Amino acid sequence: MEGILAIGFEQGLLYSFLVLGVFFTFRVLDFPDLTVDGSLVLGAGATAILVTNGVSVFLATGVGVIAGACAGVVTGLIHILLKSGSSDTNYGPKLIAGILTTTALYSINLRVMGRSNVPLLHEKSMFDHIGDLISVNMTRWSLVLGLLVIALLVKLVLDWFLHTELGLAMQALGDNEQMIRSLGVNTNRVRILGLAIANGLVALTGGLVAQQQGYADIGMGFGALVAGLGGVIIGEVVFGMRSIRWVLFSVMAGSIVYRILVAVGLRIDWIRPTDLKLLTAVLVLIALATPTIRSRVVRS
Amino acid sequence: MTGTGGLRVEGAVKVFFTGTPNEVRALDGLSLDMRPGDFVTIIGSNGAGKSTLLNAVAGTFPIDHGEIWLDDKELTQRPEHLRAQSIGRVFQDPRAGTAPSLSIEENLCLAMLRGKRRGLARGLSASRRASVKGQLSQLGMGLEERPRSAVAKLSGGQRQALSLLMATITRPQLLLLDEHTAALDPKVAATIMDLTTQIVTRERLTTLMVTHNMELALSRGNRLMMMHAGRVILDVAGADKSSLTVPELVRKFHEVAGETLASDRMLLE
Ligand SMILES: Nc1ncnc2c1ncn2[C@@H]1O[C@H](COP(=O)(O)OP(=O)(O)OP(=O)(O)O)[C@@H](O)[C@H]1O
Ligand SMILES: [Mg+2]
Repeated sequence: MEGILAIGFEQGLLYSFLVLGVFFTFRVLDFPDLTVDGSLVLGAGATAILVTNGVSVFLATGVGVIAGACAGVVTGLIHILLKSGSSDTNYGPKLIAGILTTTALYSINLRVMGRSNVPLLHEKSMFDHIGDLISVNMTRWSLVLGLLVIALLVKLVLDWFLHTELGLAMQALGDNEQMIRSLGVNTNRVRILGLAIANGLVALTGGLVAQQQGYADIGMGFGALVAGLGGVIIGEVVFGMRSIRWVLFSVMAGSIVYRILVAVGLRIDWIRPTDLKLLTAVLVLIALATPTIRSRVVRS
Repeated sequence: MTGTGGLRVEGAVKVFFTGTPNEVRALDGLSLDMRPGDFVTIIGSNGAGKSTLLNAVAGTFPIDHGEIWLDDKELTQRPEHLRAQSIGRVFQDPRAGTAPSLSIEENLCLAMLRGKRRGLARGLSASRRASVKGQLSQLGMGLEERPRSAVAKLSGGQRQALSLLMATITRPQLLLLDEHTAALDPKVAATIMDLTTQIVTRERLTTLMVTHNMELALSRGNRLMMMHAGRVILDVAGADKSSLTVPELVRKFHEVAGETLASDRMLLE
């Protein structure tokens, strides 16, 4: 039991940045961004390849985040090209922009990594270094604690940003694009910035997961978007969404609950690890098909 | 000539669905010239091109031919968000002018930053909060008591009052109102209209107001324009306008347009 909880918390916090990124695109920007599956691998791959080449893990993780942010920018630019003349609430160009970027990223990620799997077996993770610094052995709960601190820091920065002049405009963009444009905001620019932030967060999860599991793999992003959405939905439904500050907390907690459910699922004999994507898809489908949940989660 | 906000539209043409059987000339060489401080009411039957004119001025879409000038600035090629620095708008749908999931004060704060660079400073600073409260109390709707509630919880009338405040709070050079009371029930509509007159007069805003209500078009503003088939077919101002009555207006429409009114809506309201 304790094992399941520890794994759930560890994985949930590692993936909380992914969940925040998905929340940022789907909810704040009203932009269902499919770049996520690719930017997660980009973050992981860039971080792994830099670390194996002797770059410090901190710098490598940072570069991974920036690479992810660039992927978001590319999606935003493609969206501008595709959307001309269509209405603000047309999701077609948004979906296609993400699909194009994520497809291109498959090739780019292989170029970055040089092969489909980059092992990090003998490299110390960011958490090992932090542990060395404060002479704590980073295993289980101490690792969870370390992750919690980082996750809370990221959340506080997002809280702050979303309440700046620019952040408020970004929130309004997802709420009513025509209105914020008629208040003089360059919505293209704000959207691109939002996509950069979201995919930077996703890439952060990629980089940290690679360090934690000891490798980056070209397939590790597959289904990341739906898993992130699972965390978002669980968080919003279980913990509520009374304010933007609160809902950021909710979706992070949702990420932990989701990973605990996954850990429990993996203990059940007849469920294979490879069934997880099916189960996640079904979970998200059930959630979205339940009218009461749907009305809470999907924008009207 | 005093103040700013002179709007000049010259030979504006806007065609939708060009080259298809559905082709519509929504603006057909329309010209108009507004002096700073003019409060123009616009009437015209359905499909006359009134909304298209306002959209063209605001930059929702580019026009095919013609020029649009605001004072000495040419707007014709400017993107919508840059024109918005000097143009405030209120739409017919009360939901269109506000961000529902943000609070009342956050919406107003967004509006106070119209045309300014939005950076990493705190949005709702203490001073903005205080000024928001003062502005809200002028609406006389009690919104200043609950600046933190989400706009989604407001009634249509409250939302439209807020939209009006948001459109005018920075004293834009030009105010565009497109049937902004048409979706409200009569009592609320009257309140919003009074508020509109009050703000426009106090701030001396150059205003273009589209309405289907002839009485309203005659009683408000200093100038009235009638549109038909993408052009201005009647333009009366000052004393000529004050002495005009609804039956005369209808007769003039027949004279100039040479056909029966396409819409009863225009007569009845
Ligand atoms: N965005 C658009 N796309 C295609 N056609 C449009 C668009 N906007 C307006 N039109 C067409 O242009 C013509 C003029 O429409 P417009 O909305 O300007 O009329 P209006 O005078 O505002 O009418 P109403 O009184 O019904 O609001 C109509 O035939 C309309 O169908
Ligand atoms: Mg109209």
